[in-house]
Amino acid sequence: MTLSPRPDARAKLEGTAVYGVDLEAPGMLWAALVPSPVAHGRLRGVDLSVARALDGVVAIGAADLAALLPGATGDADRPIFPTDEVVYRNQPVAAVAAPTLERAREAARAVRVDVDPLPVISDLEEVFPDWPGPNADASEHVAAHVRAHDGDVEAAFRTAETVVRETYRTSSVHQVAIEPHACLAEVTDGTWKVRTCTQTPFGTREDIASLLGVPEASVVVEGTWVGGGFGGKGAALLEPYALLLAKASGRPVKLALGYRQEFQLGRTTLPAVVRMETAVAHGRIVARRVRLLLDVGTSLPGRDFATGYSIGFLLGPYRTPAFEVEGYAVRTNKPAFGPHRAPFAPQCAFVLESHLDHVARVAGLDPVVFRAAHLWKEGDTTPMGQRVGPFGLAAAFEKARATAARWRAEAGRDTGVGVAVGFWSTGTGAGGEATVRLSPAGLEVVQGEREIGSGSVLAGLAAVAVRSTGLPRERVSVTYADTSRAPFDSGVFGSRTTAALGRAVDDAVRALLEELGDRLGGSGPVRLAERSGEVWAEQGSVRTAVRDLETDAERVDGAITAKGRHYGKSGEIDERKVEAGTFYPYTDFTGAAHAAEVTVDRGTGTVRVTRYSAFHDVGTVIDPATAAPQVEGAVVMGLGTALTEEAMWSDDGRLLNPGLLDYRIPTLGEVPPVAVTFVEGFPGAGPFGAKGLGEPPMIPVAAAVALAVRDATGAHVTELPLSSERVARALKLL
Amino acid sequence: MTDGALSVTVNGRPATLAGVPDSERLLDTVRWRLGLKGTKEGCRSGDCGACTVLVDGVSTLSCLTLAHEVDGASLTTVEGVAQDPVGRSVQEAFETAGALQCGYCTPGFVVALVGLLRERGRSAPADELLADLGGNLCRCTGYLAIARAVALLAKEGP
Repeated sequence: MTLSPRPDARAKLEGTAVYGVDLEAPGMLWAALVPSPVAHGRLRGVDLSVARALDGVVAIGAADLAALLPGATGDADRPIFPTDEVVYRNQPVAAVAAPTLERAREAARAVRVDVDPLPVISDLEEVFPDWPGPNADASEHVAAHVRAHDGDVEAAFRTAETVVRETYRTSSVHQVAIEPHACLAEVTDGTWKVRTCTQTPFGTREDIASLLGVPEASVVVEGTWVGGGFGGKGAALLEPYALLLAKASGRPVKLALGYRQEFQLGRTTLPAVVRMETAVAHGRIVARRVRLLLDVGTSLPGRDFATGYSIGFLLGPYRTPAFEVEGYAVRTNKPAFGPHRAPFAPQCAFVLESHLDHVARVAGLDPVVFRAAHLWKEGDTTPMGQRVGPFGLAAAFEKARATAARWRAEAGRDTGVGVAVGFWSTGTGAGGEATVRLSPAGLEVVQGEREIGSGSVLAGLAAVAVRSTGLPRERVSVTYADTSRAPFDSGVFGSRTTAALGRAVDDAVRALLEELGDRLGGSGPVRLAERSGEVWAEQGSVRTAVRDLETDAERVDGAITAKGRHYGKSGEIDERKVEAGTFYPYTDFTGAAHAAEVTVDRGTGTVRVTRYSAFHDVGTVIDPATAAPQVEGAVVMGLGTALTEEAMWSDDGRLLNPGLLDYRIPTLGEVPPVAVTFVEGFPGAGPFGAKGLGEPPMIPVAAAVALAVRDATGAHVTELPLSSERVARALKLL
Repeated sequence: MTDGALSVTVNGRPATLAGVPDSERLLDTVRWRLGLKGTKEGCRSGDCGACTVLVDGVSTLSCLTLAHEVDGASLTTVEGVAQDPVGRSVQEAFETAGALQCGYCTPGFVVALVGLLRERGRSAPADELLADLGGNLCRCTGYLAIARAVALLAKEGP
């Protein structure tokens, strides 16, 4: 029998995998949140009396927290319930629990929320109709301000042969995991325990402890299967409310979001405005100015990473001798900005690639040759002064360019091709630990992450252990334990799981093999092998069954155990270039080049993607069976960002399309064939030189599609998504 | 419909329920009264297909169906598809093709595909089957591995 590429296939195909929404416990209550009716307002009162009079209802608001959390201080900047001001529509102002979900919803509706409306800022361009002035830092709407420069930008622009100035706008896009958030909380003997669909069990524990103001050691997070994360299931969202209701009622409490709420309360990518200016002389970029206004919703001042990280993706991966970059994270009355698969990088790539393509056309240069001539290679220095490590982007780009040229030669009327690149850095700066347990039956990897779908935990970590030990795949298992028992890990995000947690697994295996080497007493490297139905250790000519290497204690415990850890380092940037805010160095250099072929309906502006080919600098492919599907899925998600996905907000801060009919994600009939090719040999920060793969394939998609649309029609669309309406406008059909 | 009584056959076994409110959705009956939580709750508005079950062999969105509408009917959920060869072959094709990632939409796809194969026979062309699966949403796979699973079924034949 051949093994399935997915170790989780059976549980998921037979319906036995338990997700957050499936949790239940004896005596459980169902919870509901009480939403703010306005996006901004002075909170005058929250009257829970009518709700509390309903049979079996427990209701809590801000006034109840002191009694529920005696001695706890919580996070003053992030109150669980607001006390004087609400700052986004549907912000929870109270929470209720009841024996049935219907009763809980009835109780939530019975809560009287008395609010004096205040002016709502929904659109970031209302905050700064012109570019932020010198006193902008003092504005309550500025959550972060970053600024850096290098070289004589003024002079370069003055003497350039070609100068191009453009403004781009990108849309708010949602993760749209098919599984809504859900958790089940129980509070007993001072332990705050929650089972939840989280992609960061330890991060969720930390966030809960901080929000409640209780010690981390008193919080236990047990992950369930996760029905899609894409960045939307990190930190804490519902857990604090469920825990407080469990404490107040003395019963287990279940809290799940409805799908409308999933859209309304989810933290996701918000709109941005980007101004790009490029100066060209002798066919080369001599200077660039980049200005970014990024909507971060109700993100707290100083706590925003998006601007400082993103702005690098608007400069690189291109050599730029002189530059000025400035970005503002702008607060509006929306839920906080949150990570969504390569947060904001697909938008940056769309802007950068569309702009440089346009610059080349204006300068009378071949756009593809122009971009290729500026791509970073190993040994180059990034604009922020970091040395570029092994980087296969130029090699990937060459392959994508060849594919696009072949398609171009075949292209018919209204058909176009585009080639675009994306750049990413694997999130190995966030650390993790793992334990391995070797028994005569096989090797068990014990760790603290649940599989969220990519395969990075169950398939990726297993593949690392197979490669590190020499064992056949069926002798390796990956198991999970909750935060009170598992070794620490930072979470499934940043394309880091196989790369960073994989390094911890590899480290644990090394420690194990070293210990076995001491017991074997041979010389040379130690490998594990299957021999007559059980596991043996081998070192040169010395071969011994694991059962004969175990101590008595290990025989009782069932395993020889070793621990491993990996806390990665990033490179360094040249801080002298930084004038304001924080800029972030990269851990490694991960590249992707994509080719897209589209046809455009000349009557409606509707874009159809007909062929797609993705080339990925992945360092080393760790698990081929799950690697290519990861790229396919991300490409299709990227097509949504490119063509249809746009969360729309009204002037009064209302999300206008909180559902799958109005917020359109790609459906089966719209998907083109996607070819996936890996470019190996440019090692990254992961085990065996692997680079992260969860996010990079999302990044070049909108850019490749936009360039293909331009190739097909000449339409230069400077906003995302490239909806039929926008393309029709660009074609002067509207 | 007195006392909210309801009789159904679920995955081949008869079940009698009492006290089912007129307004209860089949999705909630299946998940919380029958305890068959393999059927997934997604959008609750008929847009995602995660809640698909078979009612007398016909693919049905359980979130848009009232429990009392299926009184007397035979239900098949993901937990029951392995009871016949068509269901097993669909599961095997998904397993071999790796046609799932997070798995949340998977029961809906499996059940919908079993319904289509029962309706059209195992010789139905793969592209027609895929066209009729267009109402099921998946956010992880980009549908490509699912299409490979369907192609595998078509290739293997009945």
